[in-house]
Amino acid sequence: MDISRSLKDHLPRSRTTVGGLAKSLGLLTAALFLATLVGFLGAALLRLLVPEAPAYAGIPIAAAALVLMLRYLARRFAWLIPWYYLLPAIVFLLTFTVFPVVLTVFLAFTDYAGIRNGELNISSETPVLAVDGVNLTIADPATLDCADLRDGCNGVRAVVYASGMETVGAESIDGTRLVIAGPLPAGRDVIGVELDLPDLGFPFSFRVTSVDGNVLTLERAPPSPPDLTEVRVQLDRAAISRRIVAEAGDRLELDEPLPEGVEPTAIARYNDFGFVGLRNFSRVIASAPRALIPVFLWNVSFGFLTVLINTAVGVLIAVLLNNKALRFRNLYRTLLIVPWALPSVITIQVWRGFLNQNFGAINRVLALLDISPAPINWLAGDPAAARAAILVVNLWLGLPFIMTATLGALSAIPDEIYEAARIDGASVWQGFWNVTGPLLRTALIPITLSSFAFNFNNFNVVFLLTDGGPPVSWGTATARGTDILISWAYNEAFRSQGGYAYGFGSAISLLIFVITLAVSLMNFKVTGALKEEGARA
Amino acid sequence: MTRGTRLHYLSMAGLVVVVVGGIALLFATAPEAITRDRMLVVPGAWQRFLAAFALAVAGVAGTAYLYGLATRPLRAPRYAVTAGTHVFIWLVIGAVFYPVVYLLSVSLNRNDTLAGSLPSTGNLLVRAGVMPNPADFSTSQFAKIVSQTHVLGYQWLLVGSMLLAVVVLVASFALPRLGATNARADRLRGYAGWAVFVSAAVLVLSIQPGQFYGVRESDGARLPASIGGMVPLYIRNTLLVSGVTGVMAVLLSTTAGYAFSRLRFQGRYSTLLAFVFVQMFPTFMALVAIFYLMSRLDLLNTFTGLILAYSGGAIAFSSWIFKGYLDSLSPSLEEAAMVDGATRWGSFWRVILPISVPMLLFIFLQQFIGTYSEFILANTILVGQDLWTVGVGLRNFSTNQFATQWGAMAAAAVLGSVPILVIFYSFQNALTGQFTAGSVKG
Repeated sequence: MDISRSLKDHLPRSRTTVGGLAKSLGLLTAALFLATLVGFLGAALLRLLVPEAPAYAGIPIAAAALVLMLRYLARRFAWLIPWYYLLPAIVFLLTFTVFPVVLTVFLAFTDYAGIRNGELNISSETPVLAVDGVNLTIADPATLDCADLRDGCNGVRAVVYASGMETVGAESIDGTRLVIAGPLPAGRDVIGVELDLPDLGFPFSFRVTSVDGNVLTLERAPPSPPDLTEVRVQLDRAAISRRIVAEAGDRLELDEPLPEGVEPTAIARYNDFGFVGLRNFSRVIASAPRALIPVFLWNVSFGFLTVLINTAVGVLIAVLLNNKALRFRNLYRTLLIVPWALPSVITIQVWRGFLNQNFGAINRVLALLDISPAPINWLAGDPAAARAAILVVNLWLGLPFIMTATLGALSAIPDEIYEAARIDGASVWQGFWNVTGPLLRTALIPITLSSFAFNFNNFNVVFLLTDGGPPVSWGTATARGTDILISWAYNEAFRSQGGYAYGFGSAISLLIFVITLAVSLMNFKVTGALKEEGARA
Repeated sequence: MTRGTRLHYLSMAGLVVVVVGGIALLFATAPEAITRDRMLVVPGAWQRFLAAFALAVAGVAGTAYLYGLATRPLRAPRYAVTAGTHVFIWLVIGAVFYPVVYLLSVSLNRNDTLAGSLPSTGNLLVRAGVMPNPADFSTSQFAKIVSQTHVLGYQWLLVGSMLLAVVVLVASFALPRLGATNARADRLRGYAGWAVFVSAAVLVLSIQPGQFYGVRESDGARLPASIGGMVPLYIRNTLLVSGVTGVMAVLLSTTAGYAFSRLRFQGRYSTLLAFVFVQMFPTFMALVAIFYLMSRLDLLNTFTGLILAYSGGAIAFSSWIFKGYLDSLSPSLEEAAMVDGATRWGSFWRVILPISVPMLLFIFLQQFIGTYSEFILANTILVGQDLWTVGVGLRNFSTNQFATQWGAMAAAAVLGSVPILVIFYSFQNALTGQFTAGSVKG
């Protein structure tokens, strides 16, 4: 008998088995899934008890369920514990970053838009004139407005409303208690009854305060004995969900006939959206001559130019400030950093005032110095002026970052190298070109790359300064003189006329993501930020 | 004094006379200002300005060179370069500060519009409208903005305790010079810092939209606040959202950063990579999807929704930073604690967290400042005017171009910038030092 083996068998299994990635993630996913389920059920239950409870009440319920489950799992699988440290972060990332990203990808292949947002379209409600099995005749096809949808109303969810009177017989009446002979229509609330009062000679309406089986309690007792053979029960408006399978003019065909005895009065459709395949992407391509290409070119040149200008000026100032003999250099650095210390969301909007054509400080300075022959319309005139304005404001905003980063890189160069160069007979200039230059270049590559990635999607400066304008002859209403890809996507998604084209905006977002990813990967490759990590793990 | 040095000093004096005289001549002979397109123009001024600037640089550099020759001849070129640098840097500082100074003076000016006719008296800069007229100095713009804020009694107490704590904080820096030990001053500083933070947090939480209204003079009836009168509320909203987002970033990223740095488990590296790559999809590119998600959760137009969206975007960067910080710490402290019987969690909670306070403060501030400047998510999620942040509220000033009250807007911009300006300069080294090693700007 193998002694070592029997010893191994006696050790507690679950505590020593190291869980793999798949196993751990599987367990966590199961726990999260169960917790989400509990959250949904809990929220639904809560809504039964407290109808006005908000949907997010499910979140604390799910969290409590999750904690209980995790406590159990930790006792059973001790190796899962490292993942508990990551779980809050992972849950947040999944919900508020990964899920929106996945949703964006999904939406990019749909025609989701403001007018196709998946909600019930209340204003499309139109009366139903006649019903014949699954076929309905409606009063006004224009109100139903099937033209806004991908494929007319074919396959679109709809709600058929039915409300009205149903005539039943009653057994007896005793004060406010009215006993109905047959069963009431299922699933619909009785809101009132109409009783014929033969003594008075005309019908009377009574509100129903409660229903118990076939006993209705009226708000008040009838003043004289009613005729119990014909009682008209007033039912609430019922909403019956159906799907429209075919439409032709004022005739609609439903997927299923309406329930027995329901008299439809009106129909409304949902703003259904659905898959359109690659149509959004082909629209992006089709828009290329007037939108994609000019916007992309300006986006790339904006990124390059702004990084180039900021780096040139920032490095110049940093090199000047790096002179150790310069007194007050720390004061200068502290002063020059001020644009970084002010919230850019405020300063960019203040710059709009400086750049005003008629009374902005910039034009007044230019006039005083006799630089510009006429006041320049920076923000809404020549697109070249608007582009220049963006570059200037971005220089003001971005200078402190490049300056600080370059100063950091410069101070990392040890003095001994210059000392050695000097001993070898190099002049100050040679020392600068041959020592500072190459070392600075290596340090600047990651700074400029990340600066490019940041500015490539610098929505704030474009949106808050020029709002993408001015309109240009070579562009479109949503892709104007200074629009970059991200602001074009925003305009398409949230501001374009004829319906907010969320799906189209999402398609552009995906395109931007690919470009940003490429730049960032290049950055990681250059800096090796992740490399050392991989070797150690 | 040798003959050579005397010559140097003499030529220095000569150079100064030439430069000062030259600059004075350039300005004295400048043509009269004319008006063109309703703007004041000094014909050919830019040539004179450039010449004066070149003269100033050359003059200062030349004087420094001569001084160097007179004192330490080998250093003379360096003296010249350094002195010229000073002049150049001051020009740059002037250019960078001009918008700031101009904004501040507009906010401290009686005139609401800048479109009025230019003043006919005062110096050239005032007549050209390049600087607001100092004769119209007034604090009325700020008064207009704060006049519709009705501060409650206990809130004044909070403001008082915050100011007191700030005074103590500043004083604590002087304590070591007065003979107190450094440890004592540090402890006092810690208490005062917490007092500032806690009173500011309670103050921000206690302010309610109902405290912002105008009062009709005739009968004392309450009127809805004006655009300007709402600005303090916008600042409060922004501070609230940014503060909670900062706390969330710290809460969510510390355990994650600890696990990435200290715990060894299968899938650690792939999860880390996943964190980094997910982060590359900026939150606002998924704006449509976030909008959809928030509308499904009934969180549209709430601070909760906005904070959750921000926090989701904050985690990966913060965890990455905290992991890097822990990597630079030696694990011996925790090992010692664990040898003494502490659990993993115990050593994290009692050993790692206390020594990481400066780093956690950095993560908080980083997130706080970033969130304060965010515009597009706030603009999309917050619809109700009571909930607007500073950036969104200011936009309301400036989009209405013909009715823009520049004076009030400038005052609003100044007030809105103060919290971040104070925080940034208080923690300047921590906040800028992060980027000196060439890391990614968030």
